[in-house]
Amino acid sequence: MNLSAVSCNGIHKTYEQYVFPSTMLQDHILRWRTHRRRWSLKVLENISLSVDKGEWVGLYGPNGSGKTTLLRILAGLLPQDTGTVSANGRLSCFFDLGVGFHPERSAVENIYLHGLIHGVDPATIEGQTNDIIERAGVSTHRDLPIKCYSTGMRLRLAFITIMRTESDIYLLDEILAVGDEAFKSICKEEMDSLRSRGKTVIIVHHGLKSLEKICNRILFMNAGKIVREDCGPWKPSLSE
Amino acid sequence: MRSQFSWKHGVRVVLAMGFADFLLKYRGSFLGFLWSFIIPLFKFFVIFHVFNPFIKNIPSYHLYLFLGLILWEHFSLVTGNCMTMLHEKAAIIQKVVFPRILLILSVGWTHVLILFCYFIIFLGIALLMGIAPTPGLLYIPVLFVQATLISLSIGMLLSSYALKYRDLQHLWSIALQVFFWLTPVIYPYTPKATVTQDFFNLFSGSLKVSLWSLFDIFIRFQPLSILLHDARRSILYPDTLGVPSILHTIVFSIICLLLFGLGAMVFHKRSRYFVQEY
Repeated sequence: MNLSAVSCNGIHKTYEQYVFPSTMLQDHILRWRTHRRRWSLKVLENISLSVDKGEWVGLYGPNGSGKTTLLRILAGLLPQDTGTVSANGRLSCFFDLGVGFHPERSAVENIYLHGLIHGVDPATIEGQTNDIIERAGVSTHRDLPIKCYSTGMRLRLAFITIMRTESDIYLLDEILAVGDEAFKSICKEEMDSLRSRGKTVIIVHHGLKSLEKICNRILFMNAGKIVREDCGPWKPSLSE
Repeated sequence: MRSQFSWKHGVRVVLAMGFADFLLKYRGSFLGFLWSFIIPLFKFFVIFHVFNPFIKNIPSYHLYLFLGLILWEHFSLVTGNCMTMLHEKAAIIQKVVFPRILLILSVGWTHVLILFCYFIIFLGIALLMGIAPTPGLLYIPVLFVQATLISLSIGMLLSSYALKYRDLQHLWSIALQVFFWLTPVIYPYTPKATVTQDFFNLFSGSLKVSLWSLFDIFIRFQPLSILLHDARRSILYPDTLGVPSILHTIVFSIICLLLFGLGAMVFHKRSRYFVQEY
């Protein structure tokens, strides 16, 4: 029986903004009447979904449809107005490549701090460091600060570091949209490895074809709602 | 925010991140961490030069002033950096499921390391000036903890609203100028009674309360004044003023902890909204 890895039920999210936005405390005190007027924007409306263990789910939709907001709520980065979220297992979210990387630090230092902030214990990080550096092809620059790396090297290092961060559930937002052909090939291999290890993935991506290649299920979002769900006739395999 | 961090891992992150930031701060600079020493040093020379002729009743005034300045600098840097941290670590706050209070604690740890370096230099100068080491030096770790708890509590309260109100950083820098003069860094602070006695005198009516005396009352009871007084009497004047009593140390530490708890509570509550306030 497949257990649910991540699920949410009846998620509503509204962003409230001031009609005359100001981030100044002085303004809020001196012109408090002006700043009482607000408008609200519904970004998510009654979203319910359940993702099984080992399932790969893609979120697809136009800009502003609520994909990233949904991912952030599932990750626990944003509070929802109403509804419940539950995760069954260790959850890691990657909304960008190289978050927490500092240009002045070396690859080894960056990998170590990246692992720590994602909850990985030091022994595991140290055990993986050489492998990550080798796989990313940055061995020659090992002790240099990553500001000395080319853009491609930085992206490879960041991507491999993410893929080697041990977790049960991965929430990925547009991290496949970058890099050259060689990088894409590394992406495919790493994603295959993730799948073979039975990890659960929810991925936001603007390329429908790519999602069809890697996901078991695609949820189409528009205006804060899941408008369609497609399990497709495709056979998810990256190596195709 | 759901936390997947154990208590032990949290401590590990704070220590590693705070130390990495400490190293990074001065990486590649010729003078290294001594750069952080330059601001209090220049302040010391200027203030000492201006005020020394007027202040005759404080023995070893240069050390009195210097000790006050390094503790003040610790307070102002920690409170300021708690706010700037929100921008420096914006990517982590916005994109990683991470207890954000660890970032605040790592700021505190970085500055404890800097304060430690300040104290090494201060003690070296004190020895050169002929101040003999006393058992009062054992009080220094307590001072470190109390100073950092006070600074972090104010830092957390400020950073809780620093994203919502972007001018808070600027307003705080102005408030710090005022607060500097309401803290006995430069001028003498020699209370005639203990803090507790003065506190009860205040309510029994023995102390006259007028608009101007509010400044005196504030200076008398604000935590930094008490901290500076404790630091000076334990390190510089243990024979004449006496080291802080155990009861005083416990009560003041509890007050510092309560302040820290308040700051942490507000920060935890507000940090849920940080992502949408960027």
